[in-house]
Amino acid sequence: MNENYQNLTKQERRELRRQEKEQFVKGLQHKRLTKRVLLWLVVVIVIGGAVWGMVRLGTGGESSQPSSLVDTASLLDWSKGDKEGKVILVEYSDFQCPACGTYYPFVKQLVQEYSNKIKFVYRHFPLPNHRNARSAAEAAEAAGKQEKFWEMHDILFENQREWSERIGAKEIFEKYAKTLELDLERFKTDLALKEIKEKVENNYQSGIKSGVNATPSFFLNGKKIQNPRSYDEFRIIIEQASNTNS
Amino acid sequence: MMSSELSSSKPQTQIPKWLVWCFATASFIGFLDATYLTVKHYLGTPITCSVFADCEKVTSSQYAVIGGIPVALLGACYYLFIFILVIAYVDTKKDHILYAIARITPVGFLASLWFIYLQLFVIQAICLYCIFSAFTSTILFGLGIILLKFKDKALI
Repeated sequence: MNENYQNLTKQERRELRRQEKEQFVKGLQHKRLTKRVLLWLVVVIVIGGAVWGMVRLGTGGESSQPSSLVDTASLLDWSKGDKEGKVILVEYSDFQCPACGTYYPFVKQLVQEYSNKIKFVYRHFPLPNHRNARSAAEAAEAAGKQEKFWEMHDILFENQREWSERIGAKEIFEKYAKTLELDLERFKTDLALKEIKEKVENNYQSGIKSGVNATPSFFLNGKKIQNPRSYDEFRIIIEQASNTNS
Repeated sequence: MMSSELSSSKPQTQIPKWLVWCFATASFIGFLDATYLTVKHYLGTPITCSVFADCEKVTSSQYAVIGGIPVALLGACYYLFIFILVIAYVDTKKDHILYAIARITPVGFLASLWFIYLQLFVIQAICLYCIFSAFTSTILFGLGIILLKFKDKALI
């Protein structure tokens, strides 16, 4: 390069230096631009990937270990639908849980639609952090003593907001008992029975044994399923189970 | 000319790199958390009730939506905005971008305080995802204070 410089006039050398400087600056600018483009590209990919990941996680249901039902449906359970049905859906539920309240109409409609195909079993899983969940379960059991378990089950879910956080929820349950035309004195006496408290506790313990830690938890033919996102998804799951068994 | 080109890309004051990384990490984690709740709001199954928390009660309450927009979506936009600003700082090295972030963080912090109050005293249920979001916005607020103190020191 120095030889080249020597053969040039002063003005040419100045021009050459200017061009070299320009090239150097351009090179720097180009490098910086590439860096910037790469940086923002990575950011867009990372944000896109994060959103995609969260959509997958959020729509995949609650993460849970696949578990099996330890205590299979028995005569002690409250059930409806086809009593001899080959498709058995067991729900561990809490009357005070809003998510259970959301699933309640789905399950009801499902049992009506597939009344000749599925047997639906309801089991209590009153969460300790729900103030009135256990007493609501006991109220349903007391109504069951007068053959109105399902009627009380429905009324409790349909009016969940009315009694959930109330201190005197028992009075509301008695009001429901009256609405259902139960023998109120018997209902009150039954509510205090040890047998009823034990039934609710046994349901709860059977849920613990089957790995239930949240409500609602559904077991289809003994296997825990991911909670469906919609009624249609629920139907598909039942249809598939029904086709597999037939 | 060349030296002025180079010097223009240098930071005006030397803000520690760890502070920038902390801002980016906290805002990104906050964004992940709020995006998860937003997805749950629009597409997911109802968040189940568990022994440990009562998220559904919080996310289905009247306070979870403001003017038809889920609070989780507002949170996701807030964290994303901060994250983008941090990246803009990394790109341009203009300190005033970080100072702007520091001045925005009290908004998230105050919103978090309000939502914690609602959960504890009004809804009387705790959503762990919301608590986590409050934690990240508090961290961002703390980082903002550190940054502004740093700026004051630099001016002295």
